[in-house]
Amino acid sequence: MTPLLVAQIGLTLFVFLMLLQSAAVMVYFERKLAAFLQQRVGPTLVGPRGVLQPLADIIKLMFKEELRPGAADPLLFALAPIISATAAFAAFAVVPFGADTTFFGLLDQPMRLQVADVNVAILVIFAISSMSVYGIVLAGWSSNSKYSLLGGLRSSAQMISYELSYGLSLAAVLLIGNSLSLTEIVGAQSGTWFGFIPRWFVFLQPIGFVVYMIAGVAETNRAPFDFPEAEQELVAGYHTEYSSMTFAMFFMAEYINMVTVSAVATDLFLGGWHGPFLPESLGWIWFLVKVAALLFFYVWMRWTLPRYRYDQLMRFGWKILLPVAVLNLLVTAAGVLYFGL
Amino acid sequence: MGEAIAFYTLAAFILGFAVLVITTKDTVHSVLFLVLDFLFVAALYVMLNAPFLAAIQVLVYAGGIVVLYLFVVMLVNLKRLPEAFQDPNRHGRIGLILSVAVLLELAAIAALGVGSVAPVRTAARALPVTGNTEQVGWMLYTSYLIPFEIASMLLLVAMIGAIVLAKREL
Repeated sequence: MTPLLVAQIGLTLFVFLMLLQSAAVMVYFERKLAAFLQQRVGPTLVGPRGVLQPLADIIKLMFKEELRPGAADPLLFALAPIISATAAFAAFAVVPFGADTTFFGLLDQPMRLQVADVNVAILVIFAISSMSVYGIVLAGWSSNSKYSLLGGLRSSAQMISYELSYGLSLAAVLLIGNSLSLTEIVGAQSGTWFGFIPRWFVFLQPIGFVVYMIAGVAETNRAPFDFPEAEQELVAGYHTEYSSMTFAMFFMAEYINMVTVSAVATDLFLGGWHGPFLPESLGWIWFLVKVAALLFFYVWMRWTLPRYRYDQLMRFGWKILLPVAVLNLLVTAAGVLYFGL
Repeated sequence: MGEAIAFYTLAAFILGFAVLVITTKDTVHSVLFLVLDFLFVAALYVMLNAPFLAAIQVLVYAGGIVVLYLFVVMLVNLKRLPEAFQDPNRHGRIGLILSVAVLLELAAIAALGVGSVAPVRTAARALPVTGNTEQVGWMLYTSYLIPFEIASMLLLVAMIGAIVLAKREL
């Protein structure tokens, strides 16, 4: 085995483990931040300042009994959480998170910090996120419960509606970046305008960025768009009948999807690993900082805004967000044509 | 050799899942086999060095259109079928005639087509652009502009038709 191959396998394992534990870190982060926003203290008992709380939660979930409703479709009921979790992990495979590196001279040639360098990376992410709908729809249907079914149907309607705006906001960035590869788009964002404004696409695409973030929240089923699991109406929505680790898989998929949406937003709009003060080889620190800032925004929004009503969500998606995204794409296309960016 | 093995394996999966789509009793399972079928077709595109088409195949067919199928299947109660659909052999004769016709057609294409038709080699023709995505875009807006426009007109008509049907008063 060549050193490059070993490094590639090691990187793949590293990304997998990081994603796995990012869900646990996010749970702690979210609970502490929620407590802060609501003037509570949050978890404090397990470990210093409660940092071991996620670990305790995982152990608890593992030892819970796994239940399956008698009338459920056994195969699809087991398959649904697997689809959700697999799609969540797979999407991150094409996200680059740092400049090419030789790992302090260990490798002969530099390696890209990305699991798979696909030249249609954005489409791959988009395709995988469209497949993750199946996990939720099938969980809702196979549980044979009215709460699950309604949650699953709502979720699929919501994801289909917001996928359009999501895709159109991405298309505008593709026009400016002139590539479907995330690495090339990040590369196009290096340097500065007038010496002090970073060349991030968020300054060229402010509307696109807002549309992307709103659609991203809807795609990951987070508050204020968390209809699939509106507690007051649907108990727990599509995962009402799930318990133990199968429930944990849905939970984990939701958090990993948040991380992926934030990471893609960082690559597309916030210049990826480019930033001032740090050398290119330490760019991944900038990347982590930006992703963390977007994740903070996610949590902040969840604990600040109340949930919309379902018809409001649909009206907003189709009558406001989609026209804005289409106009943004048209204006961007005209601008690229006129200025020849 | 390796390419042939990969192609025939993929082809076997595609045909196998296609058969499962039409033979499975449970409609939801049938729709899911259709998803698997589309995913294997996407794998075929990857094998043909067309990653753009593969991603679009997954995105549009497996991820978009079939979700809508699933939606309809779940909303419509299929547990109790209408009387007319109870008999599985109701269209036996028509089905037999149609399948024989298709088989004859395929046989005719296989027998007469070899050698007489020049193999389509559009990709080999010099295009001013490189890259799979650019080539697809270029072909779509030059050689295949009229089919492309006709297809979009067709979709527009379907969309207007759906709106007219759904809205009694406009």
